[in-house]
Amino acid sequence: MAVFQSDVEVYDYIGEFISSVKDDPAIGPKIRQAGIIIRFVYREPQSQITIDARNPAPEGHFYTVYYGDSAVEPDLVMSMSADTAHSFWLGKVNLMAALTRGQIVAKGPVATALKLLPVIQPTYAMYPKFLKEHGREELVKFG
Amino acid sequence: MLPEYFEFFVPARIAAGRGMSGSLGPEMEKLGVRRAFVVTDQVLMQLGLVQKVLDGLAGSAVEVAGIFDEVRPNSEVGLVEKGPGDLPELARVAGADVLVAIGGGSNIDTAKGMNIILSEGGHLLDYEGFGVITRPLKPLVAIPTTAGTGSEVTQFAVIKHEAIHTKLSFSSPYLAPNLAILDPELTVNLPPKLTASTGMDALTHAVETYVSTSWNPIADGLALEAIRIIGANLVEATTNGGNLEARYQMLVASTMAGMAFSSGMVGCVHAMAHAAGGLFDVPHGIANSILLPYGMEYNLEARPEKFREIARALGNDVEDQDPKAGGWTAIEAVFDLAERCGLPRALSEAGVPEEGLPTMAEAAMVDGAIFTNPRPAEYDEILAVLKKAY
Repeated sequence: MAVFQSDVEVYDYIGEFISSVKDDPAIGPKIRQAGIIIRFVYREPQSQITIDARNPAPEGHFYTVYYGDSAVEPDLVMSMSADTAHSFWLGKVNLMAALTRGQIVAKGPVATALKLLPVIQPTYAMYPKFLKEHGREELVKFG
Repeated sequence: MLPEYFEFFVPARIAAGRGMSGSLGPEMEKLGVRRAFVVTDQVLMQLGLVQKVLDGLAGSAVEVAGIFDEVRPNSEVGLVEKGPGDLPELARVAGADVLVAIGGGSNIDTAKGMNIILSEGGHLLDYEGFGVITRPLKPLVAIPTTAGTGSEVTQFAVIKHEAIHTKLSFSSPYLAPNLAILDPELTVNLPPKLTASTGMDALTHAVETYVSTSWNPIADGLALEAIRIIGANLVEATTNGGNLEARYQMLVASTMAGMAFSSGMVGCVHAMAHAAGGLFDVPHGIANSILLPYGMEYNLEARPEKFREIARALGNDVEDQDPKAGGWTAIEAVFDLAERCGLPRALSEAGVPEEGLPTMAEAAMVDGAIFTNPRPAEYDEILAVLKKAY
């Protein structure tokens, strides 16, 4: 059974978690510095989240997050199951191994994603806390 | 302890032997192909090597549909897509059902890029990344004339995007050649410096994959044997280029190292060498040769036992040495090997300006190769390695 039962759940948990970091003073500026647009295309359930760290972001935010279709043209598209995405944010996915295994397909300059890995590393500890705060602690064991 | 997961994949059939290219026709017939489009360069045309290879088609059912002989030292997007009038289209119009790459890594990577467009259509940039190509392409035959890149067996292609001064990476199992012909007679004309630097490139593949975080036991076996062969033959191949046995050994070792790093990946030496090439046009083999001992020194604490094994493979007696001391023996042996081959020993000798080192370190930090380095690397540490190598 998939971790998330609908695209709304993907947006409520993965999407809102990514959004929660967009004003983080330690991580946000580093993502902004990358200056890229990454689109995550998920399956099971089908959903899509785009991080825009290139175009101007709203006041107080370092980047913009879009759910579903968006007009911005991504530099990099990363496709995976929503389960893999959930495991990724729990810090349980080795990106290079996942790329090799085909669990994640990266279309575009992969180095830009790799560049962000050390930047987002602190968020792996934040995601379980986020799920707990939002009443979904049980999802942590599905990583 | 074995890795939790590893994958080892080498689809290329390898046919090796002195004069092997003379059997090109029968070997290609086994692929069921009939019309070959050749991708090569002017130098090899003028040396008569391309004709020598194509003579191997005589009496077979395979004929030459066309030849593109203008590949330049760095494979480029514009060249792959257009060439002199839409290169993949030329092959398509010629009715080619197989591509034959003759040459070094640039020629083979150009053919890989061209194969993507010829088979799938569209633009090369549409396929940049990992796993984007999801079905078999047209057959590709690779015939290396250098012993270094390993591209004849890898699933990778690196192609420069001239407009943005960036090297694009393509990775897919379907990019790998179907057949690799290893014929040492095609490498005897390689000048000493190129023999040495491409050989050091192969050694760097083997050393870095052997200690990488993506190591696996199959790659380890190939890498260690490649190190042993290179250690025993590189100086002879460089200083006595006519020695066909040494040439043959180097060609096989380079292919073995390519097979190894196709799954085991590389590390910080390649990350820094890519930066040196992209920013200051330092030839890849030269950059690897200079940086390898310094990268080994940086990584020594992460894999001391494995570095001691490298020392052993390079012909040193390390029985009485602890792993770290054995690792140092390996570093000294690599340094010595490059010196005996007459290669430059410092970045300052290779045209890198000292003020360019911070930019190089920045570029290395975002190079894909650094993410499988056995010791997590910080910017300051990479800069320190570069300064040491300067």
